[in-house]
Amino acid sequence: MMSTRGLRLLLAALPLLIVAGCREPLRGIVFEDPEPAAALVFTDAEGKAFDLAAQKGAVVLVYFGYTHCPDVCPTTLSDWASAKRALGEDAERVRFVFVSVDPGRDSPELALAYARQFDASFVGVTGTAAELETLKTAWRIAAYPEGDPRTRNYTVAHPAHTYVVDTQGRLRVLYEPGVRGEELAEDIRKLL
Amino acid sequence: MNQESVVRSWLRTFASCSSVLIAAACGAADSETAAAGPNPLFANDAWARAADSGASTAVYFMLENRGDAVDTLSGARSEDAEEAGIHISTQRDRMMHMTAVPALPVPPNDSVSFRPLGAHVMLMRVRRPLRDGDSVNVTLEFGSGRSLEVRAGVRQP
Repeated sequence: MMSTRGLRLLLAALPLLIVAGCREPLRGIVFEDPEPAAALVFTDAEGKAFDLAAQKGAVVLVYFGYTHCPDVCPTTLSDWASAKRALGEDAERVRFVFVSVDPGRDSPELALAYARQFDASFVGVTGTAAELETLKTAWRIAAYPEGDPRTRNYTVAHPAHTYVVDTQGRLRVLYEPGVRGEELAEDIRKLL
Repeated sequence: MNQESVVRSWLRTFASCSSVLIAAACGAADSETAAAGPNPLFANDAWARAADSGASTAVYFMLENRGDAVDTLSGARSEDAEEAGIHISTQRDRMMHMTAVPALPVPPNDSVSFRPLGAHVMLMRVRRPLRDGDSVNVTLEFGSGRSLEVRAGVRQP
């Protein structure tokens, strides 16, 4: 039978054993068996193509939002901008992609201008309603107008999380809105 | 007119003018507060997120009710935007939704936080670019008939 002293030692060492047995976990919702991310291919308003499949070796952050979104989307993109600043030179191997899922109001020009408000390097793209339907199916996401889409004031229900694709092109982590830029940067470094 | 009647007449005129003067001096407050007494509502630490002209953005602050009665935030307007309203962001099943809030109670001697990812004043289609260092004016309207002028500094956080 283990002595009281032995038990105390084991309890004292338990946190160390746990830390030693685990790699530092990523924040967010982590896919344990990550699968290749779905296709994401767009041409931006300046004619520049963005193809997710061609980004291997880089970590790619994707957010599905809309430019009339006054709260969650700009909060997320601001956090991305903080993360990029915190990453310093490592940010060269990170892509930040904003995809508008509001074909009723957003054009490629608006999507690009919106993304660039936060950082000049951010990608901002959108597509036709048909292209976005294909995208939503492939990424298993939903996005739809709430309120009367015939008016200019409808809102859009859209995925809450930032989708992170790792350097091997696999969908790896989802981050809640509101994750701090520095925390995001820390995690991205673990994926680089 | 004898001296006494002159004095009475002057006093009447003075009294009449005084009330006009006082009303004029307090005009700003009176026009903002239809309800009686000093306005117990305050919006502290107000800021708005930078936005391009024609875009939508949000205004955030801490709304404080120092009074002894509940009041209800019932609307917002701003000359800097085509439309304004009270909205709240909510997350359900990994989806973000934004809902208009027609009436938001502000309890007595308490505060309601308007912050990113929560309640905010939404400015729809701002009439000019809002840049870091600018300011934007918003009027909050309450069920009591009171209103509150809020000046929010623009930030690009």
